[in-house]
Amino acid sequence: MTAYTTRSAGFARKAVGRIAAWFLLPLLLVLLWWASSLSSGNYYMTPPNEIATTFGEVWTAEAVSTDVLPSVARLLSGFAIAAVLGTVLGMALGLSPRLRALTEPVLEFFRAIPPPVLVPLLMLLIGVNTSMKLAVIISGCVWPILLNTIEGVRAVDPVLTDTCRCYGIRGRRWLTTLVLRSASPQIMAGLRQGLSIAIILMVISEMFASNSGLGYAIQEFQRSFAIPEMWTGIVLLGLLGVVLSVLFGLVERRVLAWYHGMRAAHRAG
Amino acid sequence: MLEVTGLQKIYRDREREVEAVRDLTFQLTEGELACLVGPSGCGKTTLLKCIAGLMEPTSGTVELAGRSVTGPPPDMAVVFQEYGRSLFPWLTVQGNIELPLKEKKLPKKRRGELVAESLEAVGLSGSARAYPWQLSGGMQQRVAIARAIAYEPRVLLMDEPFAAVDAQTRADLEDLIRDLWNRFDMTVLFVTHDIDEAVYLGQRVLVLSSSPTVVQDDVSINLPSVRDQLTTRSDARFTELRTRIYSEIQNAKHTSAAAK
Repeated sequence: MTAYTTRSAGFARKAVGRIAAWFLLPLLLVLLWWASSLSSGNYYMTPPNEIATTFGEVWTAEAVSTDVLPSVARLLSGFAIAAVLGTVLGMALGLSPRLRALTEPVLEFFRAIPPPVLVPLLMLLIGVNTSMKLAVIISGCVWPILLNTIEGVRAVDPVLTDTCRCYGIRGRRWLTTLVLRSASPQIMAGLRQGLSIAIILMVISEMFASNSGLGYAIQEFQRSFAIPEMWTGIVLLGLLGVVLSVLFGLVERRVLAWYHGMRAAHRAG
Repeated sequence: MLEVTGLQKIYRDREREVEAVRDLTFQLTEGELACLVGPSGCGKTTLLKCIAGLMEPTSGTVELAGRSVTGPPPDMAVVFQEYGRSLFPWLTVQGNIELPLKEKKLPKKRRGELVAESLEAVGLSGSARAYPWQLSGGMQQRVAIARAIAYEPRVLLMDEPFAAVDAQTRADLEDLIRDLWNRFDMTVLFVTHDIDEAVYLGQRVLVLSSSPTVVQDDVSINLPSVRDQLTTRSDARFTELRTRIYSEIQNAKHTSAAAK
């Protein structure tokens, strides 16, 4: 009984410690920001308390539903389309050396183009609409997903490939059980990179000739010198990034449970 | 049952040709347990891959039950040396054993029976829900063997399956193979570089020469069919057989060295 209580107390202490460690640096940064904004008195450096009070005023339920939610929806759908596109194309290219050789120069060319320069072009071609914004997001975040998937598929263990051949595992089952699962650690790494690129491109896609969205709102605040409001937009963007990263981490932990378990077992053995 | 005739395999790349297997001919009869033993680097794995239909021979044929082997035959299972790499780490033990059965389109009930029976046969009944990497090396190889058994093959090929496990586990696994062969109706071809293992396990030992490989000798193992790690290995006939095979392999090495 005593052993049990001390153990659970130990767990509790550990959890508290972990949460404290998580918030320690952000808290320090806020304090640092506070001190420097107060001491400098710079108009553009709004103190954190003012940002916090303005935050509530700016991001009302209405603002969230007109500017934030549509942005997030575009971000997530763009990312989802890029994920499917990158994984499917990546599997095809990873499995076929001939296809790879054929497409490599073109892929290298497009990969080297920074997506923001495509925005004016896409505006002309597609128009200023949701499709254009999605196209911008997809054009940027598909690359890490595609390239990581190709590498992952190419690295499938030949012993497992032979095992599948011996037991007659082919077609769909072969694709999903062998190829996709083998490549899943690399695919997830590509998706993680793609997600952070998607956030950047969501903002950029809204900065040109747009009339709603989180990126548009931040830019409008900048133009009208609404500095505290601008800061709240930046903070919101950062928070969005944190939330998405945490959610992604949860999915990853489920999908790659086997991978992390296997690596831990290898380290222990 | 299994007929290998004039099998030759030459690896070619731009600079050179390597003749791994020169001319191999042997037959296995139904229900036989035969061991292939040869010096390391003699092309055992090449031969096994040709028999399994994973590799095409340069010339010669492999026939299984009268049918020519051009791809992996449906009634053959293979256990690889690299147990850690031949099990799917993202599937549980049960998932690994069941996967080929799903591809065979067996009903769920039958699959469950086969999984339970094969796990019981290899002594891992409690581990169905574990992942392979949670098990020791010897246990992982047992899972790979269970997967092969559950597949209900007519021929079981094993490519140095115990080369990477410790001596104690190895002895247990050898006894397991004898036990499974007695219990299930199948022909077993067991490839090894270990002479003692070959003599202990086999009804028959095919001795291979150094590369380029030919069958050097075909030794019938006239030991009692019930084998035991202690008594069988101290049997005078056992010692005699291993000495004979050992000297033949030594001979093979010297001849090939002299030929070079």
